[in-house]
Amino acid sequence: MGPREKLALKYVLAGVFWLGVAGIEGILMRLRILNLLTEIYTPEHYYAMMTVHPFVGIYGWAYMAVMGAFYYLVPVVLKKDLYSEWVANLAWYVMMAGVLITWLSGFLFSYSPLYTLYWPLPVVEYNGVQQIVFGFGSSLIFISVLMFFFNMFATIFLPQRGAGGPGYVAKELLTLAFNLDKLKAKTKGIKEYLPRVNNYPVFVVGVFRGCVDTTLNAIVLLLVSLTIGLYGITEVLGNELSPSLIDPLIYKNVFWWGLDLIADGNVLIFTAATWYFLVPLLTNQPLFGENVVRSVILADLVISLFVWNHHMMSDTPQPLFLLVQGQIFTWGELITMGLTMFAVLMTIWRARPVEYSPALLAIVLSILGYAMGGSAGMIQANIAMNRYFHNTQWVIGIHGHIQLLAGLSLTVFAAIYALAPILTGKEMDRRLSYLHIVLFFVGAVVMGLSQGAAGAAGMLRRTLYFNGEYAGYMSVAAIGAFIMAVGFLIFLYNFVKTYGLKSVVEVLKP
Amino acid sequence: MEVQWAVEMFYYSLITTYTIVILLFIYKTRKPPKISTDGGVHKGMDRREKIWMYSLITVAIIGNIIFFSPLIPSMQYNIYLDEEPVKTIVIRMENHSFILPEEPIVIPLGEPVEFKVYSEDLTYGFGVFREDGMLVFQMQVVPGYENRLVWVFTEPGNYTIRSTEYSGPEHPYMYIEDAIVVEEVG
Repeated sequence: MGPREKLALKYVLAGVFWLGVAGIEGILMRLRILNLLTEIYTPEHYYAMMTVHPFVGIYGWAYMAVMGAFYYLVPVVLKKDLYSEWVANLAWYVMMAGVLITWLSGFLFSYSPLYTLYWPLPVVEYNGVQQIVFGFGSSLIFISVLMFFFNMFATIFLPQRGAGGPGYVAKELLTLAFNLDKLKAKTKGIKEYLPRVNNYPVFVVGVFRGCVDTTLNAIVLLLVSLTIGLYGITEVLGNELSPSLIDPLIYKNVFWWGLDLIADGNVLIFTAATWYFLVPLLTNQPLFGENVVRSVILADLVISLFVWNHHMMSDTPQPLFLLVQGQIFTWGELITMGLTMFAVLMTIWRARPVEYSPALLAIVLSILGYAMGGSAGMIQANIAMNRYFHNTQWVIGIHGHIQLLAGLSLTVFAAIYALAPILTGKEMDRRLSYLHIVLFFVGAVVMGLSQGAAGAAGMLRRTLYFNGEYAGYMSVAAIGAFIMAVGFLIFLYNFVKTYGLKSVVEVLKP
Repeated sequence: MEVQWAVEMFYYSLITTYTIVILLFIYKTRKPPKISTDGGVHKGMDRREKIWMYSLITVAIIGNIIFFSPLIPSMQYNIYLDEEPVKTIVIRMENHSFILPEEPIVIPLGEPVEFKVYSEDLTYGFGVFREDGMLVFQMQVVPGYENRLVWVFTEPGNYTIRSTEYSGPEHPYMYIEDAIVVEEVG
């Protein structure tokens, strides 16, 4: 196994570890919602866990697994070396430290403003030390993300090492990400101009267009993390900054603009890129409508810059025109995601007869997961329905968790099942792999749907109920979570059985 | 029928359809095609893809027309209603507590009433719930701003108010049962 393979596996293993942590947290939270473990598990602990859960799940699991895959695949597809393996290795340690410290800010320091971090909650309800620990940990996460993008952009756009500086890479990125060369050609009256982006494989186009969203996201969230840390430092030094320096509504707009570039930008674009790469590989069939797909990725990128208002539909001081704009743009995602799914399913359709390997089955089920979660999102992401569904279990159950677990996570597992044999020369047991995929999908859907039903009945997210309200729905959700956990344990067993603990340790060695 | 139940029924029909389509897709694609399908790479947009795209655009347009229409009560009361509210209820939120008006909140059935909610410290939420726990409506309560909403209650009874936005570990205790009474007038 070469250093490139080792690097990819190191990221993936770390991702799987954090998924395990997120899973344990999820199950503990499900039990606490059912008013179990109340003696040892106070609301303070519950909310601290809920605060770090998305950091562990998104950055620890999904980001690390995706980074590992892209660090390997982008150079392979472009037949180049990774710009800097050293930076990629350093970014692994930075991300691990970041997720761990952020997790500790909840576990040891009970910092619990939730990932929404609505101003001024993160700085007025917690002491300086709590703010510093969280701010430091989350800053490391976003620094690692920025290191990843530096490496991706340099690998993709520099013809060879030292061929240009940051200015050259930034210019290439903007030109190719937004088809600026085509726009320029149009203004000059050139009709038959083929944009330069067409010279890149569609997978790579998805990677760098998705990276635009995620870079902007990382910059915004890094600034938020640094701000919280700064408030913490000034408090510890006895010279507190006033929270009123920042307007809560403007902050909320900036925060959601930045955060939503993940949820409605890079998740959809990276998922599409992964499907576009894996499905032709698994079916031995060219991607259906490749040039259309490039335009769809561009549309996704542009739309993602204008959808943050769907998180603010219940904010009545928000100007109405912004809410209307947010609603209309959000429906654009139905069209882009619909076209993405169509291209993937048509590619499989044209490859008949198809043998469904675990990776391909995981992709098809992830499409179903995204369709389920995305439709729930469309229903809630408008001014009218937000009055009834905002902040209910509907949002986080049917939309959030089905999309993240049945959609995104199964896409990542598909990549693991497809790439692990290429990286290691060994394939995991197929029957166990199928069992894992089906149990994980079914568990995620059962959990999400029962949460959604509870939300429709009025149950809020982020809210503990103390008198057994909605217990029936939450019991079914807990069963779903356990089914998923069994699926994950089968995956772990299969992984260790195939590759052995010794190989795992070998990969993790510096 | 409540908005939430209508949405749920629609949503479950939708995902049942998705599931059947995907299962059929898996079943069909495991078998060889009866007639050979077109191979190669399409340069432009395929006819089937065009039909699919126009279908998606149509769904998006219809969805927006429905959601912007007065068919949904929240839109009707806050965008289309011409009548002036018959009553204004002012509520303040501070230190994880609701500060209600001195007079009990009694609201006439079927008449528009205005809620103005202010926060003195954190971002909260303001939600009104029926006795069976169903959410009637809600809004965010952003500190430093007037958070305003008009509603018409269509069922008499007692209603609970609850903060619908997390504001720290004290958040789940932020509710007052029977804070609002809706009565038939005359």
